[in-house]
Amino acid sequence: MESEKLFGLFDLNWRFELTKFKLVRGIFKSRWFPLLVLIFNLFVFVIILLAGFIGGYSAGNYNFGIMIVWILWWVLLMLILVPFFSRMWCMVCPFPLFSDWFQRRKLFEVKSVRNIKIPAEENKISNGVNIGKPRGLNLKWPKQLKNMWMMNIGFLVTTFFSGFFTVRPYATFVLLGSIILLAFIFGLIFEKRSFCLYVCPVSGFQGLYSQFAMSEIRRKDPEVCKRHPLKTCFVGNEKGHGCPWLLTPFDFQKNTYCGMCLECFKSCPYDNMGLFLRPPGTDLLIDSKREPKSLDEAWKAFIMLGIAIVFYLSFQGPWGFIKDMVRAQTVKGYLIYILFHTVFNLLIIPGIFWIFSYLSKLFSGNQEVSVKRVLTNFAYTLVPLGLGVWIGFSLGIILPNGSYILHIISDPFAWGWNLFGTANFPWTPVFTGLLGYLQGITMVIFYLFSLDYGYKISTRLYPDLSQARRGFMPICIFLTGITVLFLWLFLG
Amino acid sequence: MRRNEFLAIVFVLLATVGTIFSVFAIEKFRIKKFYTVELIARVPEHGNWYPRKIKVAQGKEVKLLIRNIDTVTHGFAIPDLQVSAGEIKAGEVKVVRFTPQKKGIFPFMCTVWCSDYHMEMRGELIVE
Repeated sequence: MESEKLFGLFDLNWRFELTKFKLVRGIFKSRWFPLLVLIFNLFVFVIILLAGFIGGYSAGNYNFGIMIVWILWWVLLMLILVPFFSRMWCMVCPFPLFSDWFQRRKLFEVKSVRNIKIPAEENKISNGVNIGKPRGLNLKWPKQLKNMWMMNIGFLVTTFFSGFFTVRPYATFVLLGSIILLAFIFGLIFEKRSFCLYVCPVSGFQGLYSQFAMSEIRRKDPEVCKRHPLKTCFVGNEKGHGCPWLLTPFDFQKNTYCGMCLECFKSCPYDNMGLFLRPPGTDLLIDSKREPKSLDEAWKAFIMLGIAIVFYLSFQGPWGFIKDMVRAQTVKGYLIYILFHTVFNLLIIPGIFWIFSYLSKLFSGNQEVSVKRVLTNFAYTLVPLGLGVWIGFSLGIILPNGSYILHIISDPFAWGWNLFGTANFPWTPVFTGLLGYLQGITMVIFYLFSLDYGYKISTRLYPDLSQARRGFMPICIFLTGITVLFLWLFLG
Repeated sequence: MRRNEFLAIVFVLLATVGTIFSVFAIEKFRIKKFYTVELIARVPEHGNWYPRKIKVAQGKEVKLLIRNIDTVTHGFAIPDLQVSAGEIKAGEVKVVRFTPQKKGIFPFMCTVWCSDYHMEMRGELIVE
């Protein structure tokens, strides 16, 4: 990444530390942050669950649960949180609050830490700090499942029911209730945030797309970490817990698995952790031994792209029969949808991409590199493109439907309340005349990011420039094809 | 630190148990204080009007809170008393106020064709 430039203009090594400001650093080091925001979020989710439960099988357009989750939260996530602030949602997500509380025995304090000398061989990172014994079985997550596959399948299966989540409050209640319950049960059995890392369906796509984010949490000076044998960011101390995401904050290089819980800010005695602004997408070029480019992440990219296509056709396209299938108007139609959705996402899109990866290898003339490696590396070109597609899709949700939010915040349970005087605000679509153009412009911008990063990935994959150029051509055609398809869907 | 731990637990309890308790308490108080009865509208095959019989007193103002919790539009009318709420769209809530001047049993009904069983979507207002 040495002195490489994005679009030939922006230095990819550029960073701006936000935590150099005393106020930001002070907030990040306080144990009340993000706890207070998290508790507020818990309050919102209690309302969401209540509204979902009370709403039952009624219409979703006046339901707080449906509107907040599928209109506001989803759009905020795809439009702002992930592209700008990485996995900030995980920072304030209330789902693992109760399992954290159970494991740590404390909600606020870090009492499990005892400064006891232990033999070095019992602690591979360092000696001198003991994180204490957490409550629960505290089992290690199975090695075979230390990847994104469970999240991939979990998210795909969740989308089987997408036709219900957006129209039936009770379906949203069941989904969220199940995730909260599972988070707690997994917390009783497995260590730390194993659920968030390997199971949570929201976590996977955030991890994937956060590689494109314009911010990152990293250690500031590697020398400081080298000189600090205790590695308190990993094992914890009296100020903060050891990384709940089981990462080693002193050397991680990608946003993918960092839940931004800020514990490392609190536990680092040298204030060596920082939140940085950066050019978007720099993680896409990183292929470290600890966080390698692999098939599970590649499939995540395929699945997210495939789901976006199916969702657009189902929910924003003009084809009523697809909508009927997704909403299970007939059992046969619904089963066909599930079958098509699964095959399309798990086999067809990856299959097409495999063909283009094979062509890439063929065109490059390189015999050394495997097709699998070509596929896993170029799959990351789908991160900007996929994010662009989802941003376009999110615009298609928020612009026509955003005004419902004014109604439901005043009357969250459809009981006739008018808390803020906006309960009778009529449905008012905004800028829907420009929607297609906005979606199209978004698509083109993210397509350009994909091309730029695709070319850079190609130069890393193939040893010489001419091979890289030739090898990138089929991928460029694939990316262009997907972009044209979405431009047609958005504008056609 | 102990104070902070205590505070954090209080905040969590307020956000969860406190919220649930408050929501239901407020709604119960509101219905009791401001409305005569809460009337739920659903197509007959999914529950019909609830309650289907409403008892009110002659000469005393009635405030009906009608909630359409269905996925289709309903309507509400008591033709004998010339009371109508017009259309009540899916998820909407409407309030109807009237003062019955005569005693008797008056049918109320849905005024929008809502399902194949629409004609069965009826109830009775009993004025005593």
